[in-house]
Amino acid sequence: MRRKGTVMENIVIWFKECFTDEAILSAIGVTFKMAVFSCLISSVLGITFGLLLERYDFRGKKLIVRINRTLMGMPPVVAGLVVYLLLMRRGPLGMLGWLFTIKGMIVAQTLIITPIMTGMIHQHAVSKVPAIREFCMTMGADRRQTIWTVLKEMCHDIYFCMVTAFGRSISEVGSVMLVGGNIKGHTRTMTTAISLLKSQGIFTEGIALGLVLLVMAFIIQWLCDFLQKEESADENY
Amino acid sequence: MKKNLLAVLLIFVMIFTLAACGGDEPAGDEVVTDTVLTMATTTSTDNTGLLDYLQPLFLEDTGYELQWTAVGTGEALKMGENGDVDIVLVHAKASEEEFVANGFGVERFPVMYNDYIIVGPEAENTYGDDLEACLTKINDEQLGFVSRGDDSGTHKAELKLWTAFGLDQTANPNYVESGQGMGATITMADEQQVYCMTDRGTWLSQKNNADVDIELEIVCQGAKNLLNQYGVIAVNPEKFEGLNNEAANAFIEWICSADVQAKIAEFGVEEYGEPLFFPNAGTDN
Amino acid sequence: MKIINLEKNMGSFQLKIDHLDIEPGKVHGLVGHNGCGKTILLKTIIGILTPDSGTIDMEGLEKSKMTMMMQRPYLLHDSVYENVIYPLKIRKIPVDEAKVDAMLEKVGLLAQKNQYARSLSSGERQKLSFLRAVIFGPEFVIMDETLSNMDPESERTIISLIKEIQQTRPITWLIVNHQLEQKKDLCDVIHYMEKGRIVNETA
Repeated sequence: MRRKGTVMENIVIWFKECFTDEAILSAIGVTFKMAVFSCLISSVLGITFGLLLERYDFRGKKLIVRINRTLMGMPPVVAGLVVYLLLMRRGPLGMLGWLFTIKGMIVAQTLIITPIMTGMIHQHAVSKVPAIREFCMTMGADRRQTIWTVLKEMCHDIYFCMVTAFGRSISEVGSVMLVGGNIKGHTRTMTTAISLLKSQGIFTEGIALGLVLLVMAFIIQWLCDFLQKEESADENY
Repeated sequence: MKKNLLAVLLIFVMIFTLAACGGDEPAGDEVVTDTVLTMATTTSTDNTGLLDYLQPLFLEDTGYELQWTAVGTGEALKMGENGDVDIVLVHAKASEEEFVANGFGVERFPVMYNDYIIVGPEAENTYGDDLEACLTKINDEQLGFVSRGDDSGTHKAELKLWTAFGLDQTANPNYVESGQGMGATITMADEQQVYCMTDRGTWLSQKNNADVDIELEIVCQGAKNLLNQYGVIAVNPEKFEGLNNEAANAFIEWICSADVQAKIAEFGVEEYGEPLFFPNAGTDN
Repeated sequence: MKIINLEKNMGSFQLKIDHLDIEPGKVHGLVGHNGCGKTILLKTIIGILTPDSGTIDMEGLEKSKMTMMMQRPYLLHDSVYENVIYPLKIRKIPVDEAKVDAMLEKVGLLAQKNQYARSLSSGERQKLSFLRAVIFGPEFVIMDETLSNMDPESERTIISLIKEIQQTRPITWLIVNHQLEQKKDLCDVIHYMEKGRIVNETA
């Protein structure tokens, strides 16, 4: 902002600086690494839990669904605190030495995203899986074939949930700050970098990073839309 | 039907809350402007409770209400540069002088100092006041060290120390930047059992209050380079409209007065057995 | 297939079939008003629903030789062709594409072979569902309102296909259709249902 020149030139300079700056590239890399892994792990867990919840009726299922819904709204900082307490040197999992590492951040993120994944998958499954299961039955499919067909038929919904989860993961700051520690070059993500830049009174780079995040959010939003459109087109009988 | 009613009620509550938030603030501003003094300061004055201790005294003596926001020195000065606050109380002499030289501040007044200490996973006072030995060992043996890395006054002071002894801390692969406040940085150093530099006030309050015992010890203290001077600067009223310069001047005069200086010297003695800040208005470090 | 003392409670609705004999190799019609329990009976026979009590004697019929066309057929998120060969894949029967093409041709879906199945019209969906049900050579086929959702021409095609199958290799059909009265020539036996019970049978 202090630099002279037209706005366009400034923007170009920003991006040139940002995408050649090692610290910023590292923050982008850490963000992706964390988001991809936590998203994959929580997808496996969330899909399993979500589909199991749809498939089986048991005592206390309503309570579990309700608890899960509460966890979906859990403030990330709380998850961060819990993971911090677990991973700290004198905590129950202290011997892992995962505090202030990307592994620790992935654990925290997984804890935040898994309930969201589970909830979304469950919701989608409730509206779709019964029909698929009945169909498989009429076609004479066995258990394994049924599960495979359900997964295949749900893949749009699964992608949609994963994209949403990924979006949640890259935009999260509270738990990442607590568990990751915002260590430069190791656990600093785009969001924690922004929060640090702001505390240093450096707004320019903060905004540039923010823009990168916004662009990513836009792409994610667009992907979601695209997947949902395809879905709704299907349902037009 | 009942559900609908509830929803409508909820919406009304939300609207009223919003309206209350929106409506109150400008009205409040108008009435209170002349009696409120806004300050940007560093986390250390807030973390230690010094401002909580001084605020009621200031209100009683002058009738002004002190409202502060505690951030890093860099951000505090930035807030001053943007005219967001009336006054800044920070500890980074060079930046403060630059702030005044650039016309954002009126004049810098030294108020008090505290001191920095090096804490680490070793016996208490291992290095005594031999700061050079301490830092050289950390650097040579590539021991872990958590730096604030947030451009704060403490961070700047720490960087100056390495330079003062001709050391290049960046060559140490175990030297990391937390980019967080002092408290978080101490916790991180303790978790990893490595070294860090902190101001004594934050250290004492952290050591006293943390739920999980801090196992680090002060390994080096008392060196001349570790003194940390605080300065107070009124933001230039000619640069920005709507600043409460009168209150800012009143604060400067008040905090530099003998009475208040004596009160600063008393602060923390009861709780920690030693003062956290040493008043030195009129002199400088 | 013999259904004896079958009972199934669904909320306040009760299905109670004392005795229903579904003779193999015949076309059976099942007629009844909406909500009389036809679909529940069909779903119980195919195994989607488990009965509360009673027995369904399969008389040696293998489960894998049974199939059912749902009122609203489920279509896989795939092409028409993939949908049609799904039961073959399930049974690991090698797919003879030329034969499948010939079948598609018969019901008039060959042009749509590679089209996304969910872009089909309602009538076309029913034809796809029919094809998918008969392609693997079943011995017991249940049709839930399949013919009711078709244009007259498609309906004629399907009926002639059923008749063709019956002439070459008779199998058992259980057809639910509210207009079945007009198609008495298709059915060998018609069962009437009312309020969850079989009320009488006409041969």
